[in-house]
Amino acid sequence: MSEPLIELDRVSRTYTTRAGTITAVDDISLSLEQSETICLVGESGCGKTTTGRMLAGLLRPSSGRLLFEGADVWKKKGDDLARFRRAVQLVHQDPYASLNPTRTIAQTLAPPLAKHKKAHGKAARAAMISLLERVGLTPAADFLLKYPHQLSGGQRQRVSIARALTVDPRVIVADEAVSMVDVSIRISLLDLLHNLATEFHVTTVLITHDLAVARYFGRKGRIAVMYLGRIVELAATEPLVSDPAHPYSAALIAAIPEADPAITRTKRRVSLKGAEVPSLLNLPPGRAFHPRCPLAEPGLCDVVIPTLGNLSGGRSVACHVALRERQPAAELLGVV
Amino acid sequence: MPVLSVRDLSIDYRTRRGPVHAVRDVTFDLEQGETLAIIGESGSGKTTLAVGLIRLSPRSARVTSGEIRYDDGKRAFDVLSLESERLRRFRWADCAMVFQAALSAFNPVITIWEQFLDTGRAHGMGDKHKIHDRTRELLDLVHLDPDRVLRSYAHELSGGMRQRVLIAMALLLDPRIVILDEPTTALDILTQRAIIDLLRDLRAKLGFATIFISHDLSIAAELADRMLTMYAGRVVERAGVDDLFYRPRHPYSVGLMRAVPRVSGALGSVASIPGSPPDLIRLPRGCSYYPRCPFHVEQCLEQDPPLLAVDTPDHEAACIRWEAVAAALGSDAEAPVAEKLA
Repeated sequence: MSEPLIELDRVSRTYTTRAGTITAVDDISLSLEQSETICLVGESGCGKTTTGRMLAGLLRPSSGRLLFEGADVWKKKGDDLARFRRAVQLVHQDPYASLNPTRTIAQTLAPPLAKHKKAHGKAARAAMISLLERVGLTPAADFLLKYPHQLSGGQRQRVSIARALTVDPRVIVADEAVSMVDVSIRISLLDLLHNLATEFHVTTVLITHDLAVARYFGRKGRIAVMYLGRIVELAATEPLVSDPAHPYSAALIAAIPEADPAITRTKRRVSLKGAEVPSLLNLPPGRAFHPRCPLAEPGLCDVVIPTLGNLSGGRSVACHVALRERQPAAELLGVV
Repeated sequence: MPVLSVRDLSIDYRTRRGPVHAVRDVTFDLEQGETLAIIGESGSGKTTLAVGLIRLSPRSARVTSGEIRYDDGKRAFDVLSLESERLRRFRWADCAMVFQAALSAFNPVITIWEQFLDTGRAHGMGDKHKIHDRTRELLDLVHLDPDRVLRSYAHELSGGMRQRVLIAMALLLDPRIVILDEPTTALDILTQRAIIDLLRDLRAKLGFATIFISHDLSIAAELADRMLTMYAGRVVERAGVDDLFYRPRHPYSVGLMRAVPRVSGALGSVASIPGSPPDLIRLPRGCSYYPRCPFHVEQCLEQDPPLLAVDTPDHEAACIRWEAVAAALGSDAEAPVAEKLA
């Protein structure tokens, strides 16, 4: 295993609200290598966006460290910090809100090129055209003078990606980057992001609630499943979707409606106790899945918080029962 | 006997650039108790059609032709000819609509009970006690605790609970048709699953017919009996659910099916549809899908093809190249399109 490029080391993040303090992310460690693709998957409130923002250095962890090339990012200063800021770029969910409506595409792309690459005039124009071609907006010269409102959602998202690329990032964090674009063009955007990882060695983190999107995008990488602020399973994509190790991952995969009538109407379900995710303000003891878990054992799961442990095939799972039985939860539940 | 028969329905929007032909010559039947899913990209006209069926279109919309015939065995009429009071009655008592469970679907300053009461009164249910009894019965049916929910305001409920409330409210006057617009979009997976199971259960118990509008093909795979694919305002394919998923004959349906990755089974050859939908003000010559279609031939430019019978009498596609599509997909095995093209 090579050196990690970027790493979250036991980070937590709490928020103070009028109703009390909530811990959105609780003691997460995650280390990513160069040109790796990883998907953070989970339901709303699981902490995936908070984790993504901490990875991008936009949100300071309440405890724990963010390491980039082994150095603590929140201790960086001056040029060193600026270099990190360029190295990690975020692509937002909403391409209608993330581009300035009063600027043409050229006016959006030129400032970062001028600031970070000292590219002006003809050199800047050539750089912009090559960026737009790289994100599939051709003929590129036509797009330079357009405003965001003249573009479709998918085209805007491509502009957002081009803007992220102006500074030659080493890590891109894409938060629900395809959930607002039409189904018919999602795959092409995912392919574009995927190519950045394979051709330009960019480490790509995709945050999504859609496991089918995660499976497609992360087919050569890993998936981290999050629940109530913790990573409950971390594994290579195919084993995770075909034979999930954590009972929560198994329940999600069993519940997903699929675009195939025969499969979706005969899927074996995992029945959970209670359909709603517990409130972060009122967490169950052990801060975990046990009150809803069909495999939970009293005296074990409600006493000790499970931490990630290794199961065969290089997967990590935070489940006492799966670890003790050395079997993925999907097999214990008979849903494989 | 269909409960709803739509014939040659066309709806335009007035804009400064000229009329937008959002729905063009749409014809279909909805049988008693069946579930029809309408799929297509944004801008395909599916929402305009759904909203047009209950005449809730914005003021800029105009029905330029067609007929929407309702017939529940006791009463029969053309929805387009209804005026004020009768139209209002039709809208909730005969045909109810469930919108996405956004907060904006609720009045934020009154409780859920007052919301039910308002709805019942507006549609002539009269007696407060009768409305109350029916409301509790329906909330039980959608697995909500009436004591808790009726006292709540919309913002105090989770997305899943709000969607259940909207479904219960739609059923208040026991409609024969329920139209659902993206009923599970923006809900989490486990909540989505619960709503799908609930709808299946309610449909079996109450026997209403359903029209689903969704960009999410998996909801159609779960619940639909028959499906319509819409493109550029027209119905381009009409088929039973298995035929549309496993044996689509319009290249656009093939493209949509192929654009959605799955979690189970082989990933297959997943791909997006190239290009974007046409400008509905200046439609291209011939078939509107021509510029994006991998199957096109010169002849496709001659006319926008009508629905043609393919394979079986219950399956129609508006494509002169449907046989080439069938050949490309190969045998008729029950396998998804992305696998057949892999």
